[in-house]
Amino acid sequence: MLSVEELSAGYGDILVLRELSLAVARNESVAVIGPNGAGKSTLVRTLCGLTAARAGRIVKDGVAIERLAPHRRAATGIAAVLENRRLFGELSVKTNLDLAAREGDRRPAQARRFDHASLFELFPFMRERLGASIQLLSGGEQQMVAIARALLLQPDLLVLDEPSTGLAPKIVKGLVDVIARIRRQGVGILLVEQNVALATEAADRAYVMSLGRVTRAIPPEQWRGAQGDGEIAKAYLGA
Amino acid sequence: MTTTLFIQSLLAGLTNGFVYGLIGLGISVIFRGTRVVNAMQGDFALVAGIAACLALDWLGLPIAVGFLGGIIAGALVGWAVELLLIRPTQARGGSEDSLLLVTLGGAFAVSAAALLYFGRDSRSMPGFGGNRSLDVFDAAIRVHAVWLIAIAIVVVVALRLFYQRTPLGQSILAASIDPEGAATIGINVPRMRTLTFMLGGAVGGVAGVLVSPLITIHYEMGLLLTLKGFTAAIVGGLGNPFGAIMGGLLLGLVEAMAIVFVSSGYKDVIAMSLLILIMIAMPNGLLGRRGRVGG
Ligand SMILES: Nc1ncnc2c1ncn2[C@@H]1O[C@H](COP(=O)(O)OP(=O)(O)OP(=O)(O)O)[C@@H](O)[C@H]1O
Ligand SMILES: [Mg+2]
Repeated sequence: MLSVEELSAGYGDILVLRELSLAVARNESVAVIGPNGAGKSTLVRTLCGLTAARAGRIVKDGVAIERLAPHRRAATGIAAVLENRRLFGELSVKTNLDLAAREGDRRPAQARRFDHASLFELFPFMRERLGASIQLLSGGEQQMVAIARALLLQPDLLVLDEPSTGLAPKIVKGLVDVIARIRRQGVGILLVEQNVALATEAADRAYVMSLGRVTRAIPPEQWRGAQGDGEIAKAYLGA
Repeated sequence: MTTTLFIQSLLAGLTNGFVYGLIGLGISVIFRGTRVVNAMQGDFALVAGIAACLALDWLGLPIAVGFLGGIIAGALVGWAVELLLIRPTQARGGSEDSLLLVTLGGAFAVSAAALLYFGRDSRSMPGFGGNRSLDVFDAAIRVHAVWLIAIAIVVVVALRLFYQRTPLGQSILAASIDPEGAATIGINVPRMRTLTFMLGGAVGGVAGVLVSPLITIHYEMGLLLTLKGFTAAIVGGLGNPFGAIMGGLLLGLVEAMAIVFVSSGYKDVIAMSLLILIMIAMPNGLLGRRGRVGG
Protein backbone atom coordinates (compact mmCIF):
# COMPACT_ATOMS: atom_id res chain seq x y z
CA MET A 1 0.00 0.00 0.00
CA LEU A 2 2.83 2.38 0.97
CA SER A 3 6.35 1.97 -0.19
CA VAL A 4 9.15 4.38 0.50
CA GLU A 5 12.06 3.90 -1.87
CA GLU A 6 15.51 5.33 -1.21
CA LEU A 7 14.06 8.51 0.17
CA SER A 8 16.38 11.40 1.01
CA ALA A 9 15.28 14.58 2.71
CA GLY A 10 16.58 17.23 5.07
CA TYR A 11 16.62 20.85 6.16
CA GLY A 12 18.81 23.42 4.43
CA ASP A 13 22.30 21.99 4.15
CA ILE A 14 21.56 19.11 6.52
CA LEU A 15 20.60 15.81 4.98
CA VAL A 16 18.55 13.84 7.52
CA LEU A 17 16.97 10.95 5.62
CA ARG A 18 19.56 9.04 3.60
CA GLU A 19 18.12 6.70 0.99
CA LEU A 20 15.62 5.29 3.41
CA SER A 21 13.38 2.46 2.27
CA LEU A 22 10.45 0.78 3.96
CA ALA A 23 7.02 -0.57 3.15
CA VAL A 24 3.64 -1.01 4.80
CA ALA A 25 1.11 -3.47 3.41
CA ARG A 26 -2.64 -2.99 3.53
CA ASN A 27 -4.04 -3.19 7.07
CA GLU A 28 -0.61 -3.94 8.48
CA SER A 29 0.73 -2.24 11.60
CA VAL A 30 4.41 -1.38 11.44
CA ALA A 31 6.55 0.35 14.03
CA VAL A 32 9.52 2.60 13.39
CA ILE A 33 11.85 2.83 16.35
CA GLY A 34 15.14 4.61 16.81
CA PRO A 35 16.98 6.98 19.12
CA ASN A 36 16.41 10.73 19.34
CA GLY A 37 17.51 12.52 16.21
CA ALA A 38 17.39 9.39 14.04
CA GLY A 39 15.08 11.22 11.63
CA LYS A 40 11.78 9.56 12.52
CA SER A 41 9.80 12.79 12.56
CA THR A 42 11.53 13.91 9.39
CA LEU A 43 10.28 10.71 7.78
CA VAL A 44 6.72 11.51 8.88
CA ARG A 45 7.06 15.12 7.69
CA THR A 46 8.34 13.99 4.33
CA LEU A 47 5.45 11.54 3.96
CA CYS A 48 3.13 14.50 4.57
CA GLY A 49 4.99 16.81 2.19
CA LEU A 50 5.96 19.26 4.95
CA THR A 51 9.63 18.54 4.29
CA ALA A 52 10.54 18.20 0.63
CA ALA A 53 11.91 14.93 -0.70
CA ARG A 54 15.36 15.48 -2.22
CA ALA A 55 15.52 12.11 -3.93
CA GLY A 56 13.73 8.79 -3.94
CA ARG A 57 10.06 7.97 -4.13
CA ILE A 58 6.99 7.67 -1.95
CA VAL A 59 4.53 5.35 -3.63
CA LYS A 60 0.99 5.03 -2.34
CA ASP A 61 -1.18 2.40 -4.02
CA GLY A 62 1.02 2.49 -7.10
CA VAL A 63 1.10 6.29 -7.42
CA ALA A 64 4.22 8.36 -6.76
CA ILE A 65 3.19 11.13 -4.36
CA GLU A 66 6.51 12.63 -3.26
CA ARG A 67 5.94 15.78 -5.35
CA LEU A 68 2.34 16.29 -4.26
CA ALA A 69 1.54 19.46 -2.27
CA PRO A 70 0.98 18.71 1.44
CA HIS A 71 -2.71 19.57 1.36
CA ARG A 72 -3.31 17.04 -1.42
CA ARG A 73 -1.82 14.05 0.35
CA ALA A 74 -4.76 13.29 2.63
CA ALA A 75 -6.75 12.58 -0.52
CA THR A 76 -4.38 9.67 -1.25
CA GLY A 77 -5.45 7.95 1.95
CA ILE A 78 -2.54 8.94 4.20
CA ALA A 79 -3.39 10.70 7.44
CA ALA A 80 -0.77 11.67 9.99
CA VAL A 81 -0.76 12.79 13.58
CA LEU A 82 2.39 14.90 13.70
CA GLU A 83 4.77 15.22 16.61
CA ASN A 84 3.16 17.52 19.22
CA ARG A 85 -0.28 16.81 17.70
CA ARG A 86 -0.63 20.15 15.93
CA LEU A 87 -4.25 20.76 16.86
CA PHE A 88 -5.86 24.18 16.50
CA GLY A 89 -5.63 25.09 20.15
CA GLU A 90 -7.91 28.12 20.15
CA LEU A 91 -10.70 26.36 18.28
CA SER A 92 -13.19 23.88 19.68
CA VAL A 93 -12.93 20.10 19.48
CA LYS A 94 -15.88 20.14 17.10
CA THR A 95 -14.28 22.66 14.75
CA ASN A 96 -11.03 20.69 14.74
CA LEU A 97 -12.96 17.58 13.74
CA ASP A 98 -15.26 19.32 11.26
CA LEU A 99 -12.35 20.77 9.32
CA ALA A 100 -10.91 17.30 8.76
CA ALA A 101 -14.33 15.79 8.06
CA ARG A 102 -14.80 18.26 5.23
CA GLU A 103 -11.70 16.89 3.54
CA GLY A 104 -12.57 13.28 4.39
CA ASP A 105 -16.02 13.64 2.83
CA ARG A 106 -14.37 13.91 -0.56
CA ARG A 107 -12.95 10.42 -0.27
CA PRO A 108 -14.76 7.65 -2.18
CA ALA A 109 -17.67 6.08 -0.32
CA GLN A 110 -15.97 2.72 0.25
CA ALA A 111 -13.02 4.48 1.89
CA ARG A 112 -15.19 6.29 4.43
CA ARG A 113 -14.96 4.21 7.59
CA PHE A 114 -15.45 6.77 10.33
CA ASP A 115 -18.15 9.20 11.32
CA HIS A 116 -18.91 11.07 14.54
CA ALA A 117 -20.86 8.12 15.96
CA SER A 118 -18.02 5.64 15.47
CA LEU A 119 -15.54 8.14 16.91
CA PHE A 120 -17.64 8.60 20.04
CA GLU A 121 -17.57 4.83 20.42
CA LEU A 122 -13.79 4.89 20.15
CA PHE A 123 -13.38 7.98 22.37
CA PRO A 124 -16.45 8.25 24.66
CA PHE A 125 -15.18 11.39 26.44
CA MET A 126 -15.37 13.37 23.20
CA ARG A 127 -19.14 13.53 23.07
CA GLU A 128 -19.26 15.76 26.16
CA ARG A 129 -16.25 17.83 25.18
CA LEU A 130 -17.20 18.76 21.62
CA GLY A 131 -17.76 22.40 22.47
CA ALA A 132 -14.62 22.74 24.59
CA SER A 133 -11.60 24.57 23.29
CA ILE A 134 -8.60 22.27 22.72
CA GLN A 135 -6.54 24.18 25.26
CA LEU A 136 -8.86 23.03 28.04
CA LEU A 137 -8.28 19.32 27.38
CA SER A 138 -5.73 17.10 29.09
CA GLY A 139 -2.73 15.86 27.11
CA GLY A 140 -4.31 12.44 26.72
CA GLU A 141 -7.57 13.90 25.50
CA GLN A 142 -5.72 16.11 23.03
CA GLN A 143 -3.91 13.08 21.65
CA MET A 144 -7.25 11.33 21.14
CA VAL A 145 -8.70 14.37 19.36
CA ALA A 146 -5.64 14.46 17.12
CA ILE A 147 -6.18 10.79 16.24
CA ALA A 148 -9.90 11.35 15.71
CA ARG A 149 -9.17 14.31 13.46
CA ALA A 150 -6.83 12.19 11.37
CA LEU A 151 -9.40 9.37 11.14
CA LEU A 152 -12.01 11.77 9.78
CA LEU A 153 -9.75 12.20 6.77
CA GLN A 154 -10.88 8.61 6.06
CA PRO A 155 -7.38 7.23 5.59
CA ASP A 156 -6.35 3.68 4.88
CA LEU A 157 -2.97 4.43 6.42
CA LEU A 158 -2.64 6.23 9.73
CA VAL A 159 0.81 7.57 10.59
CA LEU A 160 1.40 8.33 14.28
CA ASP A 161 4.49 10.21 15.47
CA GLU A 162 5.22 9.31 19.09
CA PRO A 163 1.61 9.36 20.31
CA SER A 164 2.68 8.27 23.81
CA THR A 165 4.82 11.36 24.47
CA GLY A 166 3.88 12.98 27.75
CA LEU A 167 1.04 10.59 28.53
CA ALA A 168 0.49 8.69 31.77
CA PRO A 169 1.13 4.90 31.57
CA LYS A 170 -2.56 4.15 31.97
CA ILE A 171 -3.43 6.33 28.98
CA VAL A 172 -0.67 4.72 26.91
CA LYS A 173 -2.36 1.36 27.62
CA GLY A 174 -5.60 2.83 26.30
CA LEU A 175 -3.73 3.83 23.17
CA VAL A 176 -2.88 0.19 22.47
CA ASP A 177 -6.57 -0.62 22.53
CA VAL A 178 -7.45 2.37 20.34
CA ILE A 179 -4.88 1.37 17.72
CA ALA A 180 -6.17 -2.20 17.71
CA ARG A 181 -9.72 -0.99 17.13
CA ILE A 182 -8.67 1.34 14.34
CA ARG A 183 -6.96 -1.60 12.62
CA ARG A 184 -10.11 -3.63 12.88
CA GLN A 185 -11.72 -1.01 10.65
CA GLY A 186 -9.20 -1.92 7.96
CA VAL A 187 -6.75 0.92 8.49
CA GLY A 188 -3.00 0.29 8.31
CA ILE A 189 -0.71 1.87 10.90
CA LEU A 190 2.77 3.32 10.71
CA LEU A 191 3.73 3.92 14.32
CA VAL A 192 6.80 5.95 15.21
CA GLU A 193 7.59 5.26 18.86
CA GLN A 194 10.31 5.20 21.44
CA ASN A 195 8.00 3.52 23.90
CA VAL A 196 8.86 -0.09 23.08
CA ALA A 197 6.07 -1.52 25.22
CA LEU A 198 3.49 0.34 23.16
CA ALA A 199 5.26 -0.37 19.87
CA THR A 200 5.54 -4.12 20.46
CA GLU A 201 1.91 -4.40 21.48
CA ALA A 202 0.49 -2.26 18.71
CA ALA A 203 2.67 -3.27 15.76
CA ASP A 204 3.19 -6.54 13.90
CA ARG A 205 6.80 -5.85 13.01
CA ALA A 206 9.27 -3.00 13.10
CA TYR A 207 11.98 -1.04 11.38
CA VAL A 208 14.93 0.25 13.34
CA MET A 209 16.13 3.66 12.23
CA SER A 210 19.44 5.28 12.91
CA LEU A 211 21.09 8.33 11.34
CA GLY A 212 18.45 8.64 8.68
CA ARG A 213 18.57 5.04 7.49
CA VAL A 214 16.72 1.84 8.21
CA THR A 215 19.40 -0.25 9.87
CA ARG A 216 17.29 -3.30 10.53
CA ALA A 217 13.89 -4.78 9.79
CA ILE A 218 12.58 -6.92 12.62
CA PRO A 219 10.16 -9.59 11.34
CA PRO A 220 6.92 -10.48 13.21
CA GLU A 221 8.27 -13.65 14.94
CA GLN A 222 11.13 -11.75 16.52
CA TRP A 223 9.10 -8.65 17.24
CA ARG A 224 6.45 -10.60 19.08
CA GLY A 225 9.10 -12.35 21.12
CA ALA A 226 10.57 -9.02 22.06
CA GLN A 227 7.42 -8.06 23.88
CA GLY A 228 8.01 -6.90 27.40
CA ASP A 229 11.74 -7.44 27.56
CA GLY A 230 14.12 -4.54 27.62
CA GLU A 231 16.49 -5.97 25.06
CA ILE A 232 15.19 -4.02 22.10
CA ALA A 233 15.22 -0.81 24.04
CA LYS A 234 18.81 -1.48 25.05
CA ALA A 235 19.91 -2.46 21.60
CA TYR A 236 18.24 0.16 19.47
CA LEU A 237 17.17 3.17 21.46
CA GLY A 238 20.33 3.70 23.44
CA ALA A 239 18.20 3.38 26.59
CA MET B 1 -19.84 75.21 25.73
CA THR B 2 -23.28 74.42 24.43
CA THR B 3 -24.99 71.05 24.40
CA THR B 4 -25.29 71.31 20.64
CA LEU B 5 -21.55 71.71 20.23
CA PHE B 6 -21.00 68.77 22.54
CA ILE B 7 -23.38 66.55 20.60
CA GLN B 8 -21.86 67.74 17.34
CA SER B 9 -18.42 66.66 18.53
CA LEU B 10 -19.80 63.40 19.78
CA LEU B 11 -21.23 62.64 16.36
CA ALA B 12 -17.97 63.57 14.65
CA GLY B 13 -16.06 61.38 17.10
CA LEU B 14 -18.45 58.52 16.49
CA THR B 15 -18.05 58.80 12.73
CA ASN B 16 -14.26 59.04 12.92
CA GLY B 17 -14.28 56.17 15.38
CA PHE B 18 -16.01 53.89 12.90
CA VAL B 19 -13.53 54.92 10.19
CA TYR B 20 -10.58 54.08 12.44
CA GLY B 21 -12.39 50.92 13.42
CA LEU B 22 -12.86 49.84 9.81
CA ILE B 23 -9.17 50.34 9.06
CA GLY B 24 -8.31 48.50 12.28
CA LEU B 25 -10.73 45.76 11.26
CA GLY B 26 -8.78 45.17 8.05
CA ILE B 27 -5.50 45.12 9.96
CA SER B 28 -6.92 42.59 12.39
CA VAL B 29 -8.35 40.43 9.58
CA ILE B 30 -4.90 40.21 8.00
CA PHE B 31 -3.10 39.70 11.29
CA ARG B 32 -5.53 37.01 12.29
CA GLY B 33 -5.22 35.14 9.01
CA THR B 34 -1.49 35.50 8.34
CA ARG B 35 0.24 36.96 11.44
CA VAL B 36 1.44 39.77 9.18
CA VAL B 37 1.19 43.30 10.56
CA ASN B 38 0.04 45.17 7.48
CA ALA B 39 1.24 48.77 7.30
CA MET B 40 -0.51 49.21 3.94
CA GLN B 41 -4.06 48.98 5.24
CA GLY B 42 -4.71 52.71 4.80
CA ASP B 43 -3.35 52.49 1.27
CA PHE B 44 -5.82 49.75 0.40
CA ALA B 45 -8.40 52.38 1.40
CA LEU B 46 -6.66 55.03 -0.71
CA VAL B 47 -6.65 52.84 -3.82
CA ALA B 48 -10.30 51.97 -3.29
CA GLY B 49 -11.18 55.63 -2.88
CA ILE B 50 -9.35 56.55 -6.08
CA ALA B 51 -10.92 53.67 -8.00
CA ALA B 52 -14.40 54.66 -6.83
CA CYS B 53 -13.71 58.29 -7.66
CA LEU B 54 -12.64 57.39 -11.19
CA ALA B 55 -15.64 55.12 -11.65
CA LEU B 56 -17.97 57.92 -10.57
CA ASP B 57 -16.21 60.78 -12.39
CA TRP B 58 -15.21 59.17 -15.65
CA LEU B 59 -17.72 56.43 -16.12
CA GLY B 60 -20.59 58.23 -14.43
CA LEU B 61 -21.67 55.08 -12.62
CA PRO B 62 -24.23 55.21 -9.80
CA ILE B 63 -22.69 55.75 -6.37
CA ALA B 64 -23.33 52.24 -5.07
CA VAL B 65 -21.75 50.69 -8.17
CA GLY B 66 -18.75 53.00 -7.97
CA PHE B 67 -18.31 52.06 -4.32
CA LEU B 68 -18.51 48.40 -5.19
CA GLY B 69 -15.82 48.94 -7.81
CA GLY B 70 -13.64 50.57 -5.16
CA ILE B 71 -14.10 47.63 -2.80
CA ILE B 72 -13.17 45.19 -5.56
CA ALA B 73 -10.10 47.32 -6.32
CA GLY B 74 -9.15 47.04 -2.64
CA ALA B 75 -9.47 43.25 -2.77
CA LEU B 76 -7.34 43.10 -5.92
CA VAL B 77 -4.60 45.21 -4.34
CA GLY B 78 -4.67 42.86 -1.33
CA TRP B 79 -4.30 39.92 -3.68
CA ALA B 80 -1.39 41.54 -5.52
CA VAL B 81 0.38 42.49 -2.31
CA GLU B 82 0.20 38.94 -0.98
CA LEU B 83 1.40 37.46 -4.25
CA LEU B 84 4.13 39.99 -5.11
CA LEU B 85 5.41 41.14 -1.72
CA ILE B 86 4.43 38.81 1.10
CA ARG B 87 4.84 35.41 -0.52
CA PRO B 88 8.36 35.97 -1.94
CA THR B 89 9.53 37.48 1.36
CA GLN B 90 8.24 34.48 3.23
CA ALA B 91 9.66 32.01 0.75
CA ARG B 92 13.08 33.42 1.57
CA GLY B 93 12.46 32.89 5.25
CA GLY B 94 11.66 36.55 6.01
CA SER B 95 10.89 37.28 9.65
CA GLU B 96 7.85 39.12 10.98
CA ASP B 97 9.82 42.36 11.08
CA SER B 98 10.89 42.07 7.48
CA LEU B 99 7.28 41.48 6.46
CA LEU B 100 6.21 44.60 8.35
CA LEU B 101 8.96 46.52 6.61
CA VAL B 102 7.89 45.19 3.22
CA THR B 103 4.33 46.41 3.75
CA LEU B 104 5.62 49.75 4.96
CA GLY B 105 7.59 50.04 1.74
CA GLY B 106 4.47 49.07 -0.17
CA ALA B 107 2.58 51.86 1.60
CA PHE B 108 5.04 54.48 0.40
CA ALA B 109 5.00 53.01 -3.10
CA VAL B 110 1.21 53.24 -3.32
CA SER B 111 1.27 56.76 -1.97
CA ALA B 112 3.91 57.78 -4.52
CA ALA B 113 1.96 56.15 -7.33
CA ALA B 114 -1.16 58.02 -6.25
CA LEU B 115 0.78 61.27 -6.27
CA LEU B 116 2.12 60.53 -9.74
CA TYR B 117 -1.13 59.58 -11.41
CA PHE B 118 -3.68 61.38 -9.29
CA GLY B 119 -1.83 64.56 -8.45
CA ARG B 120 -1.15 66.64 -5.38
CA ASP B 121 -4.69 68.00 -5.04
CA SER B 122 -7.38 66.56 -2.86
CA ARG B 123 -10.47 65.37 -4.62
CA SER B 124 -13.91 65.31 -3.21
CA MET B 125 -16.24 62.47 -3.87
CA PRO B 126 -20.02 62.29 -3.64
CA GLY B 127 -21.47 60.15 -0.87
CA PHE B 128 -24.76 58.51 -0.06
CA GLY B 129 -27.53 61.07 0.34
CA GLY B 130 -25.54 63.85 -1.35
CA ASN B 131 -24.69 66.55 1.14
CA ARG B 132 -27.86 66.16 3.14
CA SER B 133 -27.71 65.92 6.91
CA LEU B 134 -29.92 64.60 9.67
CA ASP B 135 -30.68 66.64 12.78
CA VAL B 136 -29.83 65.10 16.13
CA PHE B 137 -30.78 67.41 19.04
CA ASP B 138 -29.96 70.47 16.93
CA ALA B 139 -26.65 68.98 15.88
CA ALA B 140 -26.21 67.59 12.38
CA ILE B 141 -24.78 64.39 11.00
CA ARG B 142 -24.37 63.77 7.30
CA VAL B 143 -26.58 61.08 5.84
CA HIS B 144 -23.45 59.53 4.42
CA ALA B 145 -21.93 59.26 7.89
CA VAL B 146 -25.00 57.37 9.07
CA TRP B 147 -24.51 54.98 6.17
CA LEU B 148 -20.86 54.62 7.09
CA ILE B 149 -21.75 53.64 10.65
CA ALA B 150 -24.46 51.22 9.55
CA ILE B 151 -22.22 49.54 6.97
CA ALA B 152 -19.33 49.29 9.44
CA ILE B 153 -21.61 47.48 11.88
CA VAL B 154 -22.83 45.12 9.17
CA VAL B 155 -19.24 44.38 8.13
CA VAL B 156 -18.07 43.54 11.63
CA VAL B 157 -21.06 41.30 12.33
CA ALA B 158 -20.64 39.59 8.96
CA LEU B 159 -16.96 38.97 9.68
CA ARG B 160 -17.75 37.46 13.04
CA LEU B 161 -20.24 35.07 11.47
CA PHE B 162 -17.76 34.31 8.69
CA TYR B 163 -15.07 33.17 11.13
CA GLN B 164 -17.42 31.36 13.48
CA ARG B 165 -19.83 29.69 11.14
CA THR B 166 -18.42 29.18 7.68
CA PRO B 167 -16.03 26.41 6.64
CA LEU B 168 -13.88 28.91 4.77
CA GLY B 169 -13.61 31.20 7.79
CA GLN B 170 -12.64 28.30 10.03
CA SER B 171 -10.11 27.04 7.50
CA ILE B 172 -8.52 30.49 7.42
CA LEU B 173 -8.23 30.49 11.21
CA ALA B 174 -6.84 26.96 11.25
CA ALA B 175 -4.28 27.79 8.57
CA SER B 176 -2.98 30.68 10.62
CA ILE B 177 -3.04 28.93 14.02
CA ASP B 178 -1.03 25.96 12.77
CA PRO B 179 -0.11 26.01 9.08
CA GLU B 180 1.45 22.55 9.06
CA GLY B 181 -1.36 20.99 11.05
CA ALA B 182 -3.79 22.61 8.62
CA ALA B 183 -1.95 21.33 5.55
CA THR B 184 -2.07 17.75 6.81
CA ILE B 185 -5.85 17.90 6.99
CA GLY B 186 -6.18 19.10 3.43
CA ILE B 187 -6.29 22.86 3.88
CA ASN B 188 -4.55 24.78 1.11
CA VAL B 189 -2.61 27.12 3.36
CA PRO B 190 -1.14 29.46 0.69
CA ARG B 191 -4.62 29.96 -0.74
CA MET B 192 -6.01 30.80 2.70
CA ARG B 193 -3.32 33.46 3.05
CA THR B 194 -4.14 34.95 -0.33
CA LEU B 195 -7.84 34.98 0.50
CA THR B 196 -7.05 36.66 3.82
CA PHE B 197 -5.24 39.48 2.06
CA MET B 198 -8.11 39.83 -0.41
CA LEU B 199 -10.58 39.99 2.47
CA GLY B 200 -8.40 42.53 4.28
CA GLY B 201 -8.12 44.50 1.04
CA ALA B 202 -11.89 44.46 0.59
CA VAL B 203 -12.44 45.65 4.18
CA GLY B 204 -9.87 48.39 3.54
CA GLY B 205 -11.82 49.16 0.37
CA VAL B 206 -15.05 49.55 2.32
CA ALA B 207 -13.29 51.97 4.63
CA GLY B 208 -11.80 53.85 1.67
CA VAL B 209 -14.99 54.40 -0.30
CA LEU B 210 -16.93 55.31 2.83
CA VAL B 211 -14.41 57.76 4.26
CA SER B 212 -13.52 59.50 0.99
CA PRO B 213 -16.75 61.51 0.70
CA LEU B 214 -16.17 62.82 4.23
CA ILE B 215 -12.49 63.79 4.11
CA THR B 216 -11.64 64.14 0.38
CA ILE B 217 -9.08 61.87 -1.24
CA HIS B 218 -5.44 62.76 -0.91
CA TYR B 219 -2.33 60.80 -1.80
CA GLU B 220 -1.04 60.97 1.78
CA MET B 221 -4.20 59.79 3.46
CA GLY B 222 -3.15 56.13 3.49
CA LEU B 223 -0.44 56.32 6.10
CA LEU B 224 -2.56 58.58 8.30
CA LEU B 225 -5.43 56.12 8.21
CA THR B 226 -3.05 53.23 8.87
CA LEU B 227 -1.74 54.93 12.01
CA LYS B 228 -5.21 55.50 13.44
CA GLY B 229 -6.44 52.09 12.39
CA PHE B 230 -3.38 50.45 13.84
CA THR B 231 -4.03 52.17 17.15
CA ALA B 232 -7.64 51.01 17.05
CA ALA B 233 -6.63 47.43 16.31
CA ILE B 234 -4.00 47.31 19.05
CA VAL B 235 -6.26 48.87 21.67
CA GLY B 236 -8.95 46.36 20.78
CA GLY B 237 -6.55 43.42 20.98
CA LEU B 238 -4.83 42.78 17.66
CA GLY B 239 -6.61 40.06 15.75
CA ASN B 240 -10.05 40.64 17.19
CA PRO B 241 -12.56 42.21 14.76
CA PHE B 242 -14.95 43.44 17.45
CA GLY B 243 -12.04 44.83 19.41
CA ALA B 244 -10.86 46.88 16.44
CA ILE B 245 -14.22 48.63 16.18
CA MET B 246 -14.33 49.26 19.92
CA GLY B 247 -10.77 50.56 19.84
CA GLY B 248 -11.67 52.83 16.94
CA LEU B 249 -14.70 54.20 18.73
CA LEU B 250 -12.70 54.87 21.87
CA LEU B 251 -10.02 56.66 19.87
CA GLY B 252 -12.56 58.71 17.90
CA LEU B 253 -14.52 59.74 20.97
CA VAL B 254 -11.47 60.63 23.04
CA GLU B 255 -10.20 62.78 20.17
CA ALA B 256 -13.56 64.51 19.94
CA MET B 257 -13.68 65.20 23.65
CA ALA B 258 -10.10 66.47 23.60
CA ILE B 259 -11.13 68.96 20.94
CA VAL B 260 -14.16 70.09 22.96
CA PHE B 261 -12.54 70.35 26.35
CA VAL B 262 -8.96 71.25 25.49
CA SER B 263 -8.10 72.26 21.97
CA SER B 264 -7.86 70.57 18.63
CA GLY B 265 -4.07 70.93 18.63
CA TYR B 266 -3.85 68.59 21.61
CA LYS B 267 -6.24 65.93 20.42
CA ASP B 268 -3.57 63.46 19.33
CA VAL B 269 -1.47 63.98 22.45
CA ILE B 270 -4.43 63.41 24.73
CA ALA B 271 -5.83 60.47 22.78
CA MET B 272 -2.47 58.72 22.55
CA SER B 273 -1.64 59.31 26.22
CA LEU B 274 -4.92 57.79 27.27
CA LEU B 275 -4.40 54.84 24.98
CA ILE B 276 -0.92 54.26 26.38
CA LEU B 277 -2.46 54.14 29.86
CA ILE B 278 -5.04 51.65 28.66
CA MET B 279 -2.38 49.45 27.13
CA ILE B 280 -0.41 49.49 30.38
CA ALA B 281 -3.49 48.49 32.35
CA MET B 282 -4.76 45.99 29.76
CA PRO B 283 -1.82 44.74 27.72
CA ASN B 284 -3.95 42.33 25.70
CA GLY B 285 -6.33 45.05 24.59
CA LEU B 286 -9.83 45.97 25.69
CA LEU B 287 -11.22 42.48 25.21
CA GLY B 288 -8.22 40.66 26.67
CA ARG B 289 -6.93 37.25 25.64
CA ARG B 290 -10.31 35.63 25.45
CA GLY B 291 -11.44 38.35 23.09
CA ARG B 292 -8.80 37.34 20.60
CA VAL B 293 -10.34 33.92 20.29
CA GLY B 294 -14.00 34.81 20.15
CA GLY B 295 -14.28 37.57 17.53
N1 LIG C 1 13.42 22.13 11.23
C1 LIG C 1 14.66 21.61 11.32
N2 LIG C 1 15.72 22.31 10.85
C2 LIG C 1 16.97 21.78 10.92
N3 LIG C 1 17.26 20.59 11.44
C3 LIG C 1 16.24 19.85 11.92
C4 LIG C 1 14.89 20.32 11.87
N4 LIG C 1 14.10 19.36 12.41
C5 LIG C 1 14.92 18.36 12.77
N5 LIG C 1 16.20 18.64 12.47
C6 LIG C 1 17.34 17.76 12.68
O1 LIG C 1 17.14 16.56 11.98
C7 LIG C 1 17.56 15.44 12.73
C8 LIG C 1 16.43 14.45 12.84
O2 LIG C 1 15.37 15.03 13.58
P1 LIG C 1 13.97 14.31 13.77
O3 LIG C 1 13.09 15.24 14.50
O4 LIG C 1 13.50 13.79 12.47
O5 LIG C 1 14.39 13.09 14.69
P2 LIG C 1 13.48 12.11 15.53
O6 LIG C 1 13.97 10.75 15.23
O7 LIG C 1 12.06 12.37 15.29
O8 LIG C 1 13.86 12.47 17.00
P3 LIG C 1 12.95 12.47 18.32
O9 LIG C 1 12.93 11.08 18.79
O10 LIG C 1 13.70 13.37 19.26
O11 LIG C 1 11.60 12.99 17.97
C9 LIG C 1 18.04 15.98 14.06
O12 LIG C 1 19.43 16.04 14.03
C10 LIG C 1 17.46 17.36 14.14
O13 LIG C 1 18.32 18.22 14.83
MG1 LIG D 1 10.49 12.98 16.47
